[in-house]
Amino acid sequence: MRDLTLTDVERLESRADETEVAFQMDEDTFRAFYERTARSVWAYLSRMTGDAQLADDLLQETYYRFLRAERAYESDAHRRNYLFRIATNLVHDGRRRHRLDCVRVPDEDEPGLPQADGDIAEQTARRTDLARAMAQLKPRERDLLWLAYAHGSSHQEIAESLGLKTASIKLLLFRARRRLANLLRSGGIRT
Amino acid sequence: MTECDREPDVIDAVTSGRWPERCEGELRGHVAGCAICADVVAVANALQEEHEFARREARVPPAGRVWWRAEMRARQEAARRATQPITVVQGLAGACAAGLIFALVELVWLRFSQSLDVVERLKQFVSDGQIGLAFQSALIPQVGWQLAIALVACCILTPLALYLALSKQ
Repeated sequence: MRDLTLTDVERLESRADETEVAFQMDEDTFRAFYERTARSVWAYLSRMTGDAQLADDLLQETYYRFLRAERAYESDAHRRNYLFRIATNLVHDGRRRHRLDCVRVPDEDEPGLPQADGDIAEQTARRTDLARAMAQLKPRERDLLWLAYAHGSSHQEIAESLGLKTASIKLLLFRARRRLANLLRSGGIRT
Repeated sequence: MTECDREPDVIDAVTSGRWPERCEGELRGHVAGCAICADVVAVANALQEEHEFARREARVPPAGRVWWRAEMRARQEAARRATQPITVVQGLAGACAAGLIFALVELVWLRFSQSLDVVERLKQFVSDGQIGLAFQSALIPQVGWQLAIALVACCILTPLALYLALSKQ
C-alpha cells in the first residue's frame, strides 16, 4: 500500500473544497423560502431565548441544519414546520447548555417602534406585562402559545414543530392559554 | 371543556386586526360570555402584537449571506471528513513508533544487563587467574560497541520517528 504524502493530503482537501455541497434545495429556492420564513423564525428564536444576539446565531444554525437535512417534504407547510422544529430543538439545547430560561422583559423606558395611531407608552407597558407573564410559563408552554397565537400554526403544525402528538396539543394549549390569560389579568391586562 | 366552536372565528378576528372595533357585535357578545374565547382574545391579542413587534425588530441577514456561510461550513466539514483517515493513520504510526521504542529500550537494557554479568564474570575469572588477558581485551570492547551503536541509533531514530508520526503535515 502506498504511503500518503503531503501532496495527497493537499489534493484531498482541495477536492473537498471543490466538491459541490449537497444541500436539499438550490440557491434560488432557498432564497425564496428564506424571504418567506426568516423574520418569523428570528421572532420565534428571539422571544424564546430572550436574547436577540443569540437569535442571530441560532438563525444561521437553523438554516444550516435545515439545508443539510436529508428529508423529503410533502409541502411548503411541512418544510416550514420542520424548520421550526430545528429552531425549537436549538432553543432547547441552548436552555440546557446555558440555562436560558428567560424571556426578555423590555425596560419601562425602552422606546417601541412608532405607530400611526398607537400609544407607544401603552404598547411598551403591554409588552412588559406579556414578557413578565411569559417568563413565568414553562418553556414548552411558551413554545406552544407562540406557535399557536403569534405564528398562527394549526394543531398539527404545532405537533410537527414541537415533536408532540397532535391529539395532546389541544389540552396542552388549553392549559397554557389559561395560565397565560390568568397571569395577564392578574398583572393588570391592558387591552 | 377545553375548546369552543367559535375559537377559530375569534382567532381570525384578532389576527386580521378586526378585533374589537370592526368585528360583529354577535361575536363580541359571545366572547363576553365565554371564558375560553375570552382567554383566546387576551392571549392572541398580546402575542400577535408581540409577534408584529418582533418581526419589525428583526434584522435578519440577507439570504445570500446565509447561503454562502452554509456552503463554507459544509465544505469545511467535508474537508475535515476527507482528512480524518490521515489523522487516524498518523495516530496509529505514533503508537507503533512508541511500541518500537519501548521494545528497543527493553532489548538494549537486556543486552546491557547481560554485558554487566559478563564483565562481572570476567572480573571474577581474572581475579582467579583462570582466563587470559587476550580474551578480556577481545570480549569487553565487542559488547561495548554493540551497546554504543544501539544507543546512538535509538537517539537518532526516536525523534525522527516521533516527528514523522506526530507532524501535522
